Amino acid sequence: MIDFENVSKTYPNGTHALYDVTLHIDKGEFVFIVGASGAGKSTFLKLIMHEETPTSGEIVINGKKTSKLKRREVPYLRRHMGIVFQDFRLIEKMNVFDNVAFAMRAVGERTATIRKRVPYVLDLVGLKDKMRDKPSELSGGEQQRVSLARALVNNPEIIIADEPTGNVDPEMSHEIIELLNEINAKGTTVLVVTHEHELVREFHQRVITIDHGRVIADTKDKNAHVHYSDDDYDGYDDYEDYDDVPQYPDNAVVLPD
Amino acid sequence: MKGFGYLAKEGLKSVWSNRIMSIASVCVLVSCLVLTGAAALFSINVAQVVESVGDSNETTVYIKSDVSQLEAVYIGKDIEKVSNVASATFYSKDEAFKKYKEELGEELFNKIEDRNPLPDAFIVVMDDLSLYDDTVANILKIDGVDSINDRRELAKKLTDISNLVNIICVGVVAALMIISIFIIANTIRATMYSRRFEISIMKSVGATNSFVRMPFLVEGMVIGFISAAVSTGGIALLYEAVMSAITSMIPFTFIPLSNVILYVAVAFVIAGVVIGFFGSFISIRKYLKKEGNEILGW
Repeated sequence: MIDFENVSKTYPNGTHALYDVTLHIDKGEFVFIVGASGAGKSTFLKLIMHEETPTSGEIVINGKKTSKLKRREVPYLRRHMGIVFQDFRLIEKMNVFDNVAFAMRAVGERTATIRKRVPYVLDLVGLKDKMRDKPSELSGGEQQRVSLARALVNNPEIIIADEPTGNVDPEMSHEIIELLNEINAKGTTVLVVTHEHELVREFHQRVITIDHGRVIADTKDKNAHVHYSDDDYDGYDDYEDYDDVPQYPDNAVVLPD
Repeated sequence: MKGFGYLAKEGLKSVWSNRIMSIASVCVLVSCLVLTGAAALFSINVAQVVESVGDSNETTVYIKSDVSQLEAVYIGKDIEKVSNVASATFYSKDEAFKKYKEELGEELFNKIEDRNPLPDAFIVVMDDLSLYDDTVANILKIDGVDSINDRRELAKKLTDISNLVNIICVGVVAALMIISIFIIANTIRATMYSRRFEISIMKSVGATNSFVRMPFLVEGMVIGFISAAVSTGGIALLYEAVMSAITSMIPFTFIPLSNVILYVAVAFVIAGVVIGFFGSFISIRKYLKKEGNEILGW
């Protein structure tokens, strides 16, 4: 479903965000992507969504090489994905129903289809009775569920959640991940970017750890806690070249909790 | 295109929610269109006058005011002798006075009835208009002939004025057009900024660029259309006002408004919508190229 082959990304300003990342995510998987801020998680997501293109290497999504993708094909690639933002990005002036319907209108769905599909998806996230509420009338957890409903409504094969619990109460965070788990159980591939170790540990799923632009661990060990440096880091711009970048062993550094 | 109705509605809504900027755009575009329209109407009216003047083969020859009517008759004979002159008909100052009085109203002329300032004249018809200049020169050599009302001169002057007006208008209109496009582009940019959330969401769910663009193009075109409607009304009022003001001063046959207003309206709508479209297109294109591609981090 998602293949990274020796992908590196250097931004025009010289920041090395990702370095030689190779990984494979299968259809139907649930994957946590963890790392300190600036480790390269956002770049990883941007590459998947084709918001950025890799400096070298190849990304294959659904068997399609993204380097071969034409500009006008990008929107259709994105229709395979649903994105959940950390800041929800709900439209204040629209009610819950319209916020979710908006994603369907944006891809030109028919009104009749929208009227059927939106209540169904809102029911899935447990917000059917709040359909007419404005986002400001909802709690953070509820807003994130609206955002999730919007990501789901076009029936994507992949759900990408960028720090979905970042603006949500800790007790609600669990609920959000639980919901993502349920969605995953129905066959949707789920990618969750987070830095909340507790949450990651709770759910015993595959965890990909990115640190300083490299995948330093990729494991599904139940009791594993992956260590990564916690300092905020903006890539490799402190280093003259790649050789000076701290190296990690090929096998993940997996420390016992 | 699927969902066009929805997108068009969104575009209409944002004309209203951005009304201050919309009004500013409309104002500039209206002044641009009205000025263009006024210049065009002026020049077609002048063209019509020039044409009618050019067609008529009559030249008025004025006689010096100290010449008596009897002497004038002899001068008329002399004029007829000039080669290329077909006929010279006497046109007395009393006749001329009566005619002016009829055309321009009695009040003004009653006061000066006893001291008619107009000269006697001959209406001269020529055989061959291509020899006009030579013939006129020969007539002017005759003793007692004061001047010639050269209607070609008038035609030429009118054409010159019309050309000058056109040149000035082209400059002003070009400047206003650029300002219009610029202001519309800014209006649309303001809309896009207030809708950047929506744009990022639309792009994240895979909306095509043409789909994202649509409401903004509609907004620009609606602004253009409103401007066209306002301008049409404006120019109609202006035309009527100028027409009645001028006809009260001098006899002048205008092209009736009803003959031209439809063309003016159609031209305004086309111009307004095209300018509106380009204004939006420029800014949305710039936006979609830059910030519009950012979904996660803007």
